[in-house]
Formats: sequence, C-alpha cells, structure tokens
Amino acid sequence: MSERPVLDVSGLPTTAFGHRDPLWWGLAGLMSIEGTMFAIMAASYFYLRGGAHLWPPAGTLHPGLGITTLNLAILLASIVPMHFAADAAEREDLPKIRLWLIVATVLIVAFLGVRIAVLQRLTFRWNSHAYGSLIWTTVGLHTLHVVTGIVENLLLITLLTKGPVEDKHMDDMRLNSMYWYFVVACWVPFYCIFFLDPGLLGASAG
Amino acid sequence: MSAEPIDPGRTVEDPPADVPEADRRLLERTWEYASGLWGWLAEVDHTRIGVRYIATALIFFALGGIEALMMRVQLARPENGFLGPDLYNQVFTTHGSTMMFLFAVPIMLGLGVYLVPMMVGTRNLAFPRLNAFSYYVYLIGGLFLYAAFFLNTGPDAGWFAYVPLSGPQFSPGKRVDVWAQMITFTEISSLAVAVNLITTIFKQRAPGMSLNRIPIYVWAMLVTSFMVIFAMPAVMLSSLMLALDRLVDTHFFNPAEGGDALLWQHLFWFFGHPEVYIIFIPATGIVSTILAPFTRREVFGYMALVLSLVATGFIGFGLWVHHMFATGLPQLGLSFFTAASIMIAIPSGIQMFCWIATLWGGKLRFKTPLLYVLAFIFTFMIGGLTGVMLAAVPFNTQVHDTYFVVAHFHYVLIGGAVFPLLGGLFYWFPKMTGRMLSETWGKVSFALVFLGFQVTFFPQHILGFEGMPRRVYTYLPETGWGNLNLLSTVGAFILGLGVLVFVGNMLASMMSGAPAGDDPWESDTLEWSTSSPPPPYNFQYLPTVGARAPLWHRSENQPVVVGLRSDRREFLITGMLDADPDHRQVSPGPTIWPFFLSLGVGITFIVGIFTPWGLPIGAVPCAISLIAWFWPRGDQGHHVLKEKKS
Amino acid sequence: MILALLLPNWIGGHSSLHSHGVQAARIENLWWLMFWVCSAVFVAVMVATGIAITRKTLPSGPPGPIAPQSRRRMTRVVAGAVGVTILTLFVLLFASVSTSRAVASLGAPKATVIKVTGHQWWWAVEYQDLNPSRIVTTANEIHIPAGRPVLIQLSSADVIHSFWVPSLHGKRDLIPGHDSAIWIQADRPGVYRGLCAEFCGHQHAHMDFLVIADPPDRYGAWYNAQLASSTLPATPSQQYGRQLFESGPCAVCHTIQGTDANGKLGPELTHLASRRTLAAAILPNTRGNLGGWIVDPQSLKPGSYMPANNLKPDELQAMLDYLGSLK
Repeated sequence: MSERPVLDVSGLPTTAFGHRDPLWWGLAGLMSIEGTMFAIMAASYFYLRGGAHLWPPAGTLHPGLGITTLNLAILLASIVPMHFAADAAEREDLPKIRLWLIVATVLIVAFLGVRIAVLQRLTFRWNSHAYGSLIWTTVGLHTLHVVTGIVENLLLITLLTKGPVEDKHMDDMRLNSMYWYFVVACWVPFYCIFFLDPGLLGASAG
Repeated sequence: MSAEPIDPGRTVEDPPADVPEADRRLLERTWEYASGLWGWLAEVDHTRIGVRYIATALIFFALGGIEALMMRVQLARPENGFLGPDLYNQVFTTHGSTMMFLFAVPIMLGLGVYLVPMMVGTRNLAFPRLNAFSYYVYLIGGLFLYAAFFLNTGPDAGWFAYVPLSGPQFSPGKRVDVWAQMITFTEISSLAVAVNLITTIFKQRAPGMSLNRIPIYVWAMLVTSFMVIFAMPAVMLSSLMLALDRLVDTHFFNPAEGGDALLWQHLFWFFGHPEVYIIFIPATGIVSTILAPFTRREVFGYMALVLSLVATGFIGFGLWVHHMFATGLPQLGLSFFTAASIMIAIPSGIQMFCWIATLWGGKLRFKTPLLYVLAFIFTFMIGGLTGVMLAAVPFNTQVHDTYFVVAHFHYVLIGGAVFPLLGGLFYWFPKMTGRMLSETWGKVSFALVFLGFQVTFFPQHILGFEGMPRRVYTYLPETGWGNLNLLSTVGAFILGLGVLVFVGNMLASMMSGAPAGDDPWESDTLEWSTSSPPPPYNFQYLPTVGARAPLWHRSENQPVVVGLRSDRREFLITGMLDADPDHRQVSPGPTIWPFFLSLGVGITFIVGIFTPWGLPIGAVPCAISLIAWFWPRGDQGHHVLKEKKS
Repeated sequence: MILALLLPNWIGGHSSLHSHGVQAARIENLWWLMFWVCSAVFVAVMVATGIAITRKTLPSGPPGPIAPQSRRRMTRVVAGAVGVTILTLFVLLFASVSTSRAVASLGAPKATVIKVTGHQWWWAVEYQDLNPSRIVTTANEIHIPAGRPVLIQLSSADVIHSFWVPSLHGKRDLIPGHDSAIWIQADRPGVYRGLCAEFCGHQHAHMDFLVIADPPDRYGAWYNAQLASSTLPATPSQQYGRQLFESGPCAVCHTIQGTDANGKLGPELTHLASRRTLAAAILPNTRGNLGGWIVDPQSLKPGSYMPANNLKPDELQAMLDYLGSLK
C-alpha cells in the first residue's frame, strides 16, 4: 500500500505556550493529583472534627491570628513577582525574568521563616493528638511544595545566569509561575480551616 | 504558522524512489534503541517499556497465583497443617496485594503504554522519560514487597489493612510499613502513566482523529487515567497516615486521641472502589476492540459505549461505602450507596447489550481472542449480578466478609478483567513479537482456564451461604465445608495449569511461531498499519484519519503527514477536539536519569520506613537526578536566546 | 447443590439460608427474590448471546460498519433491553430498602440488653441491668429468651471484629471507638452458632460463639444460676485445684467470682462448667479438652495470648476437678 502526502508540517513551530504545550497538560495532571490529595486532607480534618467532643482538644491555643494572617499575606504577595516573571517570559526579557524570580524567592523564603515561627508557637505536636497530626502533616506536605518551589526558582535563576536558554524555556518559566499559583492556592483554604476555626479562635491567647 | 495542506486533488509528483528509503534509514538511526546494559536502563521507547510492564506484571501474576494455590492447598482439608496462621496471613495478604497492585493495574496501564501511541497515530508517549521512571518505580515497589516477604517480613493484615489491626499496637515490626510503602511506589507509577496517557490522547492524535473517531480502547484508557488521578491520592494519603501513625506516633486512626478507625476505611475504599473499575474499564476497551475483527463489523453503539465508559467512571466514585455496610453507619446514608451501586449496572448493561448486538450482526471467527470475549460475557454477567445482590444492604450483612464475596470479586476481576486480558494478549502478541501464537494450544489453555475458574469459584458462593468467613487459615471439620473447599482447590490447579499452558504457548511461539505480518487479523485500528513488531518510530509517515475504523476505510494511496524531521526525534502535536496540527514536539532520546531518579525515590521510601530521616536522605539523589534530567544541553535544535557561559 | 445446602447441625449449625430468626428470614426472602430475578436476567442474556453466535449470517464482504436498517432495529432492541434493566433494578432497589426497614424495625421495650465486647480471640458477654447485683458476666456463650427481641450492644477491646449469627441476623462490626447495637431474635428455642466475621489477627479462624435460645422459664433459671457466686469446692482435690488457680498464673487473666482470682484479660470462668464449649466455641467442653487446652493452648490456637501451663499430672487433675465443678 503506497502513501500519499496530504499534509506538510515542516513549517510548524517547535514550541508552543499554554495549553497547546503538552507540558502544560502534565502540570495540570500533577495539580489535579496534588489538589485531590489536599482536598482529601481537608475532608479528613472535617471528618475527625465531626466525630470529636471537643475540637480542638483541650489546652490548644491559637498560635496568633496576627502572625498567621501576616504569613498568608506574604504568600499571596509572592504571586505578584511570579506573575511579572511569567509576563517577562512571554516577552523573552531574560534579565527581567531573573529579577522577578529573585524577588519572589526572597518573599517565599520570608514566608518559610515566618511559618517556622508559627510552628514553634504551637502548643502541640504531631503526636499529641489527631488534631495535631492533621495540622502538622498538612503543613508538612505544603511546606514540601514550598521548598521545591524555592529550589525550582533557584535552578531557573541559575539557568538564566549561566545559559543556554532556549525559546522553549520561556514556556517552562510560565509553567513554573502557574505551579506556584497552585501552591499558594492550596494553602488558602487551610489557613481558613485551621486558623479561622471558631473552636480555635475561642481558645486564642496569641 | 500552520501546516500546509497539499491539495489532495493534485497528483503529487512522487518523490524519487530512493528518498523515502534514505529517509527511513535516517529515521531508524535517529530513533535507534541504545544497546547494552546502559541502553536497557536508559530506554524511553514506549513499546519496549510497555512490553516490560506486561512481562513484569505477568511474573507477579504467576507469583500471586502460586500464593493462591498455597492457600487452596491449606484450605482443601479442615484443620490442615500446610500453612500455620502467621504464614497464611502473610500469604493471603501478599496474594491480594500482588494481584491488585502489582499485576492488575500495571498490566492494564502497561498495555495502554504499548498500544495508545500507535492507536492514535504518534511516535511515542508525551513524556517518554516519565514513562521509564514510572516503570522502574513499579519494579522497585514489587521487588521491595517480595524481598520483605521472603525475609518473613511480609505484610499480614490483609490487602486492605484495616486499622487498628494494622496499626502500631497490633502489628508491631515492619510488615505493614512494607505494605504501605509498596502502595506509595505503585501509586506514583500509576499516576505518572495516567498523566502520560491523558496528555498523549489529548495532544498527539493523528490529524483527522476527532473525538468521535477515537478508538473505544483509547477512550477506555482515557477514562481509566482520569479515575487513577482522582482515586489514587486517597490511598496515598491514607497509607501515609498509617505510616506516620506507625513511625512517628501520629493519631489519625487512634480513637483514644481523636482519631477514627473508620477514617481509614473511608479513605481506603474511596480509592478501592474506583480501583476495581480502573482494572475493569480497560478490559471493556479490549473487548470492544477484539469484537471488531472477529465479527468483521464495527462495534455497535459507539456513542453508547463511550458514554457508558464515562458514566461508569463517574458513578464509580460514589459507591465506596458499600464495602462498609456492616459498620453500623446510618441507614439513610447506606441506602444512597445501595442505589448508586445498583445504578452502575446500567452503563455496564448498556455495554453488554451493545456487544451482544455486535455479535448478532457479525460473521464470527471463533479464534481464541473471541472465545475469551464469550467467556467474559458469561462470567462477568454472573459476577455483575452477584454484585447487584451485594448492593442490597440486608443481604450484604449476611454475606459480607464470607466466601460469597470472594466468589463475587473473582468473578468480576478474573471474568471481567483477566479473560479479556488473556484474549487481548493473544490478539496483540503478533504485533508485539511478529509471531502468531498457536491457535490449538490457545484453545486448550482457554478450556482449562475457563473450566478451572468455574470449578474454583462457583462453589465459593455456596460456602459463603454456609457461613464460611474470609481470611481464615482453617476451619473445623464439623462445619461440613471440607468437600466444597476440596473441589475449589482442584479447580484452582486446573486454572493454574491453563495459565501455565498459555504462558508456555507465549514462550514457544516467541521462538518458533508463524510469522505474523503487519495485520494478521484484518483489524481496524492504526497499530496494524505498521510492521510487527513496530519500528522504534512507529510510522515512517504519521497517518491521517478520515473515519472511525481507519484501517477499514483505507484506499490505495494512504494520506499521510510529511515534514517531520528525521534527523532528530520529532512528532506532531495536534488540537484537542479535532486533532488539527499545531506544532512539532522534539522528543528526548535514551537517558539514564529516570532510572537514577527511581533509585532515589526508592531510597527515600525504603529508608523512610525505618526513620523519618529517609526523606532528607533520599532527597539528595532525587534532586541530583531531577536536575540532570531537566538541565538543558542545548542540543535539541531550539532557538537559543542566551548562549551558555563558558 | 441442594444437597450441599443440607447441613449437619452440630453444636449450632450456621447457614444464612436456614433462618431461625425473623430478621434472617426476611433477608432470606430477599435473597430468593434476587436469585430468581437475576437468574432470569442471566438466562435471557445467555440465550441472546447463544443465538447471536449461532445464527446464520450472509456471506460477508469486506469488514465494515453495520447496515443502517440493522442498526436501527438493533438500537430499538438495545434501548428496550436497557429499559427493562432499569425497571428490574428499581424493583430490586425497592425490595432491598423495604427489607432494610423491616429488619431494623425489630425491637421492644424492657428487652434483655447484652453487652458483647470483642477481644482477640474471644467474646466477653455482660448482661446489663440497672441493679448491679443482677449483672451476669460470662464469655463465648450467650443465652437469650426465645421468641423475644434482645438488644446486643457491641464494642471492641482491641481491633475490629464482627458479630455474626447467620441463622438469626446479618453481621455488625465491632469497631473500637464506635460502639454499636443490633436487635436480634430467635423464633424458636435452639442452639445457634456465631462467628467473628472480620479479620482480626492470628486466630480469627477460631473465634466462634454460641447463642442459645431458651423458653422463658428455662432462660430465667439459667440466669439466676449465673448470678450465683462460684461453687465452693466440695472435695480436697477441688480445694487443691482452687488453690492452684488462685495462686498461679491463671488468676492474672481470669476471674472466678467468690475467689481471689479477678483477672480481666481473659474470659470470665465463674460458671465454666455450665458452658457447652471451650476456647471460643471451638472445642466441646469435656474434661479431656479442657486439660489439653490448659496445658498447651498454643497447639490448638497458635498465637493466642494464653501461655502454656506446665502442670504436674496431679495438679492438672485437681484443677480439672475444681473447674469441672463450676456449674
């Protein structure tokens, strides 16, 4: 059986942005998986809360509405430089990408520092009770994502400094920002669930 | 920029005769498999990795089968002394865990890894290195479980490991931790394959393969992949919680400190029920695929079949509490799950009727693959009907945790998944190896498998009514259960013999089977348009598609795509809805980093069962491997924006 | 198959198809309804498949799609089959829900209330009463008045177990942290076997119990006998046996009321000799079996928590004399 050419694709580009890029789909898959995991974590929190007589357990104090809200603000603020970095990537403006990535990384590291301070203020640990297990494990999983976000940013900054940088990396930069928005978005509901829990606010001392 | 269509009305001057040949040689060099040990470890070709998945899963199938035979020998007589309770508990746990996590899901996904790129008309999966990584992680998980098993540290709390029995207080030692981490490995592997399949199916279909022309098998793998993505995180989380309870004294499942034993069951079964559909739905795709060539008709009811697959996928997430009907949950809630569990029979029924309608109109060729389809119809009907019965809460409370349930799930899993799988292996063996299996021995093994299965599992329905519970290493002679158990054991050996003959057929035919040619069955899907076994680049020129069963609508001059470069690995990315060409993707060649990353992941999780420092320790090789994997070398021919600083 | 269903009725046969309680009977009815409906469906589908694969078809040309008028006819048939399927499933759903409600409606005021606690691998039984002096504690054998609903409260001391008496009712899991309760009723006097139906470790296979339904007067007599403190030893051998029991390791785990032995880890033994079975209903309660159990429990239930007891022959005989007197 012979073949007959009907379509000549040699003129097509070799890079694409957004959902035209298969990597976008890979990342969307990853976000679905991790998002589901966080959602199930939240469901587990509410399940155990629903079965408890006293929630949070007696003696639990709020680590501080001020400091936790400040940290949320820092995290939300980090979206801004990441967004500018993505914009710069669209324009192929390498120095600007690098600048905004550095700014973002500084903010994220600050977030991590404040988070450590919050954790130190907690009156319970993961092995104190189920409530403690939930809080520490969720924060731990999320922190893992924050750390990988920092590492990824540092790698991209290094790449932008040392080269070789190809046009296809511009899409990688944008996807990196997209993933960061996801990491931020995952925390927002948990901030509300954990630190705006009426039971915990009632026990506030911080 | 867009693709240039060549006016089909214009007769293209045939390029000079030797250009396609020179082109093909260049393509072969570009896509060449790497050789030696390094080459084997660095492989990124989907057909080779797919075959590895299938071969490895079949080995685990054999191991799980041996465990089953051991159990059947122990249960053949009352108060038998072949296996004591401790060893029996390890054996039945490993049997279930092997079959579910190391055989059934990997083989279905592995078959998809092999077939999907060819069926949609592309050269490789979207993420070839991720594919390699996912295989190694699966292999490590399986080896880990069996190493522990042979060291008398095999898990022994059942394949669903209910707490508190599986918790730190009642299962000391590392047995259950091994189980929890095996889960982590196999789930990471499956999730990676799912992402790969979805991306490939959405973005790499041959031009002209719009959504309503996608083969039903590919639809099945798409639905399965989505189910994997939304179901597996639940068990990953629950096994993480169990591991933490055991290792660092968290209290997720400890009622004394605010935890809940039922939380485990909810999380596990939220995964566990979709899991069985993850195994079953690909099998329905195989059935739809086999029916076409062996009835010489396109399958009846394409739209109904596709919608049934999607409906099953959705409804499958709403059934999980039917595994918990004996736990004392409120009646109103239970009734909802009864209704959903009964309702899912509707899309399954629709599929069944469509398949029978296909048989009705067709000119049948009773070769081994079709025989397995018929066996599937018979056996899965029984299993599905006992499933509808089990959905009724009052009846469920009588037969839950008895051999009636054991019979039910083997009917739906072996009848509903393994029979189509065996038929599928028989059908695609020629494509994978270039040789035909012996039809005579195929029929012999079919008869042994089918008969052996019925003799093994039908009596177990009755044993369930007679009160025989699950997971008992023995029973008292006065129960009267001895004769049916003995019968079941005899059946198990016949079934085992049948599987042995099937495997023997495969091994012998690989060496001396009749040459198959491109398309021995006169099939309708794209994988049969290339050679057997396929070249590493699958198609010299990517096909275009004008109809649902492309190979049955061919003409003398097949319309194909030209313009992809042959001096580097390229394939075509197309649009999601109508598969119009979008851009060209450069694909990676062999690389060792996926293998090293899997070792890093292995270190992380294996050391992790002994100490939480496993995470930072393992993070180092993981990070190194990931950086080496992704660090650009500037050799893929992209436009460079900034040169490498020397 | 029918023959296989005719079971020997040894110390309580157990089959959910030989119901002796009103709930098990309703469930059995539901089973037979589902069985006949599903069998009819199965036969219909097999007949259709059989015809499909044996009917003569026209010689085929090249493979291809189904002809349009065949397709239209098929579509109508398939749609009809789907409609019948949906109706059938609704019938089954309705039957299931109404059976659920019937089964759950059993109950009565002022019924006997029995608290059953699951242990690895035996059943603690405690009859509830507002008057503490009327609480009966026993193990592995539950007596109930025949013909009356009885409330069974279920809890677990360790892992998940499941309380199941197939002749009387469906099972209910005993889940730590989730106490639960079911009503059961035996229609007629008799001995009904129960078993643990959730994998609970090494001796899950040997964790049975008996439910003995007595006519009301016999039940009352049994109950009053159980309330009494343990029988005093009448012979020197029995006295010696009691001494061994109180001073030895037995007292660490077991209770015999009226003696110094009040261990709570194992089954209560105050009226051991009144029970029909030993070791969670896996051995008939005979002197020989009891002797074998005391000396080497691991050979009968490997992995159970009762250690071997190295008794000299005369010590064992004295112990058996004493325990055999505990009616």
